[in-house]
Amino acid sequence: MRIRVTVLAVAAAAVVGVAGCDEKLANLTGPTPNLQPTFSSIQHEIFDTTDPSGRLACTNCHNPQGSRFSGGLDLTAAVSYNNLVGVPSRDKRGATRVIPGDPENSYIIHKLEGRSDIVGVRMPRGNGPFLTEGQILVLKRWIEIGAKND
Amino acid sequence: MKPIRLLILLLSLIVAGLPQPVAAQNQRPTPPDDPDRDINLSQPDFTLIALPTTLRVPRFRSAFRVTHRFTRPLGQGDFGDLAGDLFGIDSGAAIGLEYRFGVMRGLQAGIHRTNDRTIEFFSHYNLLQQGTKGPLGLDVVASLDGTNNFRDSYTPGLGVAVSREFGRHGAVYVEPMWVNNSNPLPSELTDDNDTFMVGVGARIRVRPTVYLVGEVTPRAGYTPGVNQGSFGIEKRLGGHVFQMNFSNGFGTTMGQIARGGTSKDDWYLGFNISRKFY
Repeated sequence: MRIRVTVLAVAAAAVVGVAGCDEKLANLTGPTPNLQPTFSSIQHEIFDTTDPSGRLACTNCHNPQGSRFSGGLDLTAAVSYNNLVGVPSRDKRGATRVIPGDPENSYIIHKLEGRSDIVGVRMPRGNGPFLTEGQILVLKRWIEIGAKND
Repeated sequence: MKPIRLLILLLSLIVAGLPQPVAAQNQRPTPPDDPDRDINLSQPDFTLIALPTTLRVPRFRSAFRVTHRFTRPLGQGDFGDLAGDLFGIDSGAAIGLEYRFGVMRGLQAGIHRTNDRTIEFFSHYNLLQQGTKGPLGLDVVASLDGTNNFRDSYTPGLGVAVSREFGRHGAVYVEPMWVNNSNPLPSELTDDNDTFMVGVGARIRVRPTVYLVGEVTPRAGYTPGVNQGSFGIEKRLGGHVFQMNFSNGFGTTMGQIARGGTSKDDWYLGFNISRKFY
C-alpha cells in the first residue's frame, strides 16, 4: 500500500510539475521577439519599427506626409487605431481594414499576406522582407480577440 | 519539474527494474508463479488500436509494438487507383515503435517513437484488477510527448483507463484523459491549450484467437481536426498480436490523439504488431 501511494504521488507530482507546458511566443515572432497580440505592441514592433530582418516600419510610408502614396492610411501612433478598426479600405470597395473578431476578412491581413484579391501590391511595399508567418499570426490573434485598443 | 526531469525519473524507474545479472538471478529463490504472465483472453494486448488497455506487464518483463498507418486515404480516386496502390500500402506511412517494461507488479513504463520524430514516454499504474478488488480494472496513465526527438513542444497527459471484462468474450473501456499543451501554438495566440478527451473502446473475441476492436475519442477544449476513431480485426498467435485496422487519423501518442484525426471522410489502412517477451 505504501509503495502504491509513493508511486502515485511521484507520478502525480511529475505530471503536475510539467503541466503548464507552453510554446514561447518569441520563438514564433522571429525578428520581433517582444511582439504581443496587443495594439500597443503591434504599433511599436510592427508599425513604428524597422525590424532586424530589414522589414521596413509601416510608418515609413503610412504617415501624414506620405498619405498621398499610402492609401490614405496614416499609421502613426496617435491616429492609427482610428484609421484601422472598422474603417473601410479606400482602395478596395467593400473591404474593411480591420473587422474585430474576423481576421480572415480583415483587409489588412489580405494586404500583408499578399492575397490574390488585393488592390495594389503586398505590404510592405517592395520585394520584402515581408512580415513573417508568426508576426501575421499575432496580428490575426489581436483581431480575433476583438481588435481592442490595448 | 521540467520535462527532462520527468524523463530522468522515468528512465530511473526503467533502469531500476532491469533484470539482475545471471549470477544474482541464480542466487534468488524461484519466484512464485506470476498471474500477470497468464494469457488474459479478454485483454490479449496492451492497447486497443491507439488507446491503452489495463493489461499488466509482468514484473521485469517487456513487450514491443509496431504501429503503421498508411497515409493514402482509402476514398481517394476510384477502386482501380486504390487497388493499384494496393490499398495504400504503396504510399508513405506514419510508423511508431514502442517498448514497454514491467517495472514492478502493476507498474509499467515505456517509450513510443513515431517517424515524425515525436517521442512519448508513458507509464501506467494498475490500481484495480477486475475480480480481485471489484468489478472493474483501473489504470492511472501518465505520458509525456516531445516533438523533434523530445527537444521541442512537450505535451503531458494524465488520465485513467477503466476496463470491464466480460468473461472470456472481450472487454470495454472508458478512458478520460487530460492532455496539456496539445496546441502547438503559444497560449497567447490560442483560446485553448489543453484537450480533455474520453476514449471509448471495445474488444470482442469472435473466435478463440480472433478479435474485433474499435475505439473513438471524443474531445473538448483544443479540438482541431475530427475526433479520432478506429476499428480493426486482430489475431493472437502465441506472444504476438497481429492487427489490421482502419482509422481516420494517424495518432498513436496521447498528444497526437488529442490533436485529432484528419477528416471525417478520410480513412486509412494500418496495422499494429505486438510481441510480448514472456
